Amino acid sequence: MTDFLKGYDIQYWLESTAQGYLENTEYGHLAGEREPDLLMEEDTFREESISTTVQLVMGERCALAASSGLINAAPDEASKRFLATQTLDEARHVEVFTQRLYDLGVKQNELEDVLNDRVDPNLVKFAEALLEKVDKKDFVAGVVGQNIVLEGMAFCVFEMLHESSVATNPKFAHILSGTIADERRHVGFGENRIGSLIQQHPERKADVEKLQKDMTYHMLATFGSQFTQGPSPEEVDKIMAKRGVEHSEAEWQGVKLNRASTEELEAVLSDTILKEFKVRLGRIGIEYQSPARP
Amino acid sequence: MSQQQKRRRYELDDRGFNEVPQKYRKYYRRREGPDDELAPNEILCPVCKIIVRSNRELRPGDRVYCMACLTRLRIAEGADGKLEAEVEY
Repeated sequence: MTDFLKGYDIQYWLESTAQGYLENTEYGHLAGEREPDLLMEEDTFREESISTTVQLVMGERCALAASSGLINAAPDEASKRFLATQTLDEARHVEVFTQRLYDLGVKQNELEDVLNDRVDPNLVKFAEALLEKVDKKDFVAGVVGQNIVLEGMAFCVFEMLHESSVATNPKFAHILSGTIADERRHVGFGENRIGSLIQQHPERKADVEKLQKDMTYHMLATFGSQFTQGPSPEEVDKIMAKRGVEHSEAEWQGVKLNRASTEELEAVLSDTILKEFKVRLGRIGIEYQSPARP
Repeated sequence: MSQQQKRRRYELDDRGFNEVPQKYRKYYRRREGPDDELAPNEILCPVCKIIVRSNRELRPGDRVYCMACLTRLRIAEGADGKLEAEVEY
């Protein structure tokens, strides 16, 4: 069941991460990179960045608690070791996104208040549901919730954030590209682990489908509500015009990210997140179940 | 001459993919946008969207491994006649 992990060990992880894409980085970005002046000087942009980063910190705190908790729930040695490396990946993500909050002006003694005030309630509910499964040492539920639902969906969001930052904020883009590289392994683990489980134990299919149904709602609601936050395209235009700054032409899935309306962003994200998610489930042998509002 | 013997071979260069250990980096590259055409020795990993490269032309039935997401892939011919990768669990 863990044949896909045959070539994976701590040495491989070190050569890929610390000696690979993280080499010469500081908190995930290149030394000397800073948040752009435009973002730091315009409160509207800075506040929006703080709110987005708060969701990233809280999502990663959830993943850190889940992956560390799953180590002792894993039934085999290979999965335990993989989850040990994932735990350090998640701890690093918490650290780099927290550092970004400090860089954006959040004071260290205000961190927890800022996180609690701005976290999306749906993300909190998702974390509670996932960590309840982990606390019960339910390995399959934990992997479905964390590596398939949470990380499968976050993978698309990180890619979109990365594309929108490459030209305007190289520091954030670098942090995200390292995170995306980590996520590839995490979603790969989830898909391969659950895919092989379903193949060898088809009687578990209904069980996994129910888990997906139960755990998807809050994640989708988190992404949905995040797009109603932040400045409108008109407000952004006004600020850019005032400062005489050109929009960047970042494009993702055919949408101009820095000019898109809330509706356009929601549409493209639900099209990609849900579409990709359904395809991923289909490969594993799971039929997507529309989540009911809890 | 059999089909197997006619396979074109490729000299792989390092395309800057630094997400796997050094000695394997030439076997992978990132996709550069929707217009990025795959060469006959390349296949898109459906799990993590990285392009896996082989030093020979790929054919249906071949098996490759995506080290970036730890996934074993089997090459198949898609409905449109193009090669695609199926995950082997």
